Amino acid sequence: MKIGLEVHVALPTKTKLFCSDLAYENQEEPNSNVCPVCLGLPGAKPVLNQNALDISARIAKALNCEINEKTWFVRKVYFYPDLPKGYQITQLDGAIGIKGYVDLNGKKIGIRRVQIEEDPARIIREKDYSLIDFNRSGVPLNEIVTEPDITSLEELKNFIEELRSILYYQGVNINQELKTDLNISLAEKRVEVKNVTGVKNLISAAEYEIKRQSVLIKEGKKINAETRSYKEDSNETVSSREKETEEEYGFTFEPDLTFYDTTKLTIPKAVIASNIAKELADKNEYNEKTIRELILFNRRNLSLLTSISKEEFKKGVSLIEKFASFGIEDYSEQEFRKMLDKDVSSIEKEGFLQLLGRTNKSEKKADKTEIEAGIKEMLSSDKTLFDRGIKDEKAMNFMIGEVKEKYHITGKEAADFIKKVIKGMLNN
Amino acid sequence: MTAKFLSLTDSEYAIFISQLKQANERLNAFNFIDENKKSGKIISVKDNICVKGMPATASSKILQGYMPGFNATAVQRLENSGFSVIGKTNMDEFGFGSFGLNSEHPAKNPFNEEYVAGGSSSGSAVATALIKEHVSIAESTGGSISAPAAFCGVVGLTPTYGAISRYGLIDYASSLDKIGFIGKSADNLRDVMEKTVGSDPKDTTSLSNVISNKNPHKLYVIDNLVENIDESIKDRFEDLLAKLSAKDYEIEHVNVDYLEYSVPAYYILSMSEASTNLAKYQGFKYGFKVKDFSLNYNEFFMSARKQFGKEAKRRVILGTFIRSKSIKQRYYEKALAIRHAIIARMKKFLNDGFIIMPSMPIFTPKISEVSDISPVEAYSMDMLTVPPNLCGFPHMSFPYFYEKGMPLGAQIITDHFNDYSLLDFLSEWESGFKYKFKEEIG
Ligand SMILES: [Zn+2]
Repeated sequence: MKIGLEVHVALPTKTKLFCSDLAYENQEEPNSNVCPVCLGLPGAKPVLNQNALDISARIAKALNCEINEKTWFVRKVYFYPDLPKGYQITQLDGAIGIKGYVDLNGKKIGIRRVQIEEDPARIIREKDYSLIDFNRSGVPLNEIVTEPDITSLEELKNFIEELRSILYYQGVNINQELKTDLNISLAEKRVEVKNVTGVKNLISAAEYEIKRQSVLIKEGKKINAETRSYKEDSNETVSSREKETEEEYGFTFEPDLTFYDTTKLTIPKAVIASNIAKELADKNEYNEKTIRELILFNRRNLSLLTSISKEEFKKGVSLIEKFASFGIEDYSEQEFRKMLDKDVSSIEKEGFLQLLGRTNKSEKKADKTEIEAGIKEMLSSDKTLFDRGIKDEKAMNFMIGEVKEKYHITGKEAADFIKKVIKGMLNN
Repeated sequence: MTAKFLSLTDSEYAIFISQLKQANERLNAFNFIDENKKSGKIISVKDNICVKGMPATASSKILQGYMPGFNATAVQRLENSGFSVIGKTNMDEFGFGSFGLNSEHPAKNPFNEEYVAGGSSSGSAVATALIKEHVSIAESTGGSISAPAAFCGVVGLTPTYGAISRYGLIDYASSLDKIGFIGKSADNLRDVMEKTVGSDPKDTTSLSNVISNKNPHKLYVIDNLVENIDESIKDRFEDLLAKLSAKDYEIEHVNVDYLEYSVPAYYILSMSEASTNLAKYQGFKYGFKVKDFSLNYNEFFMSARKQFGKEAKRRVILGTFIRSKSIKQRYYEKALAIRHAIIARMKKFLNDGFIIMPSMPIFTPKISEVSDISPVEAYSMDMLTVPPNLCGFPHMSFPYFYEKGMPLGAQIITDHFNDYSLLDFLSEWESGFKYKFKEEIG
């Protein structure tokens, strides 16, 4: 079995890849973060976001890629309503990173290429028509292309987890739905499942294909080289009935951009959390799996566990678990240190908070009149919030979040209280 | 001498506009004339360069109704310096043409309306001949400034590639497109050049290199390039060389390899890029809009792209073919290699001299003579203007002789970023030459 992936991941930049529109913030209103560049208006020209280049170089390096000394872009020409210029600016031979790998416990999964590219717009399909929201047009992506080195479903799961962890430590928003093209062949002929959204669907698509192709092989039938798509509601893949000719994108050098020198970029050493988990397990003679779970997607846990001694390690792990079980997320390293000296093995939440020195503070902070005054001020300073708050759940949640953050309060009870106050004021 | 541009008082303005509109009915210099009173120095702008609040059609039906909400950087810089745009000038659709005929209402030669104006910046050259003290912002990809300047008896200045920002230019072939100027005085051209050059954060390919001033007194004539042109043009050109030699220019005859491939290389690269630059015209966000919503995407798309003229369709099809995987190495990659080889060979001479040649291989043709020639014949008319354009070398066409009342132009080329030396040459030339125009308004 051979599996190869093309994983698309959105980069953590403030602005889009080729213009200065916001990439992720204030996106509620369709077509509000657009400009001549990301609408592809005649006369406009792209200008590369240097930050996207830096982040891509770091991701490529974290995936053990060689960084091309000069990186450049190409036009991938095809026609689709979400593509405002009639071509996507992407990379090929001049990709930022090439020939890398991800190490899965000694087995290397090859990374053919890490390329920088722009996201197309979003198509919203209605019953008899479609709408296009160009807010997403030009959001910076990396496409990570693997070699067909993955040989089992288990390995696929491990690879995705490892990749996501590596990306997490490069600042990538790990809650985003990864968009993946899945190439999978049990026999010679390659089947491509295009545009699978999210990890869960990726795994089910692969599972389905493995079953489907094994049945065909068993029955002595032939497997068609084809493009398929994954149907989320029925958990199956279906043939896209595209003609099986080789795709012709007419790639050509992007002459509105230039060659970018990467030799001057400073690329810090990548954090590979799974390697660190292994080291911590060895050093502290502790269960590797537990450590992995704590640090693969948690920067603070990683920092705490690498900073404590072997003697404190076991206690440190249970303290992290304790904080988590009490739903306390916003603790500092000092607070952690402070609690490490105390015996909290059989303590309840209230006592824990007292030891932490938080009860009084948070009670004081949650002073009712103070919060009410704060909410009043917020509503009067932002008229649109006031207007939208009544009917719009999103605006309400936004306000609750703001207040909670401002007064350091947590929990459902507090949220209900804030909601009540806001509703009361809106109705006046 | 100093730069001097037409600017009009309130009372003069209405008369000027009515004269301009009258002349435009005969000559088709403008696609759009802005009748609102302008207080600044009057300039015009080729219709593929965006001016905020004015239509920008690049003479294409597919852009009918496109009204950019932003200024091209070159336009912005000139407006900041007190210039006002009077209108948008006619051109070959998207810049595709050497005679100005690929336009719904082709511009006509201001010396004789039976003759072509040249292209693709046809309207900019006609407007410059027609309006007093005029400069028009034009654009050249493979000769679109030199050709109409030569046929209309004005000066066409094509700067180094990247010297002037392309932001706001509706692309033909991005690696070859250069905004430049058509005018009729060295001082005016220097003035607008100084106000527009320099890098622009909105155009990655714009450059800030100092535009230096080596002033060579040597003129190279490339014999193997000039040998295939009209015999009488050759004679007039010999007369020009004699005049220049009398002005202390040292003339040297040389040969340059590979130049015979410059036209094919140019068309391969430019069509290939053009076919991608024209991919954005799909009929739903701006310009021509398909109103039949019962069509599926492919039908919708096809009915929009039917609006392209014949030459635009030809270049999209050929360009797409050239980019295809199995063909690319055979043509595109070779064309790139030819381009590099020619740059290196010409640079050798441009180190210590200008290269000089006639601008066009033929006398100004009548419209009827060229409206039916084959595309390959038409492309071969660019044999003299393509080499400097392909290489991004700054060059200038200037009028030097009037044959039976029609102007003849010669082209001089200099090294990258040595643009101002062309204008020094022109100042010197103007001291012994008198421009002739049939009529001038303003
Ligand atoms: Zn934008």
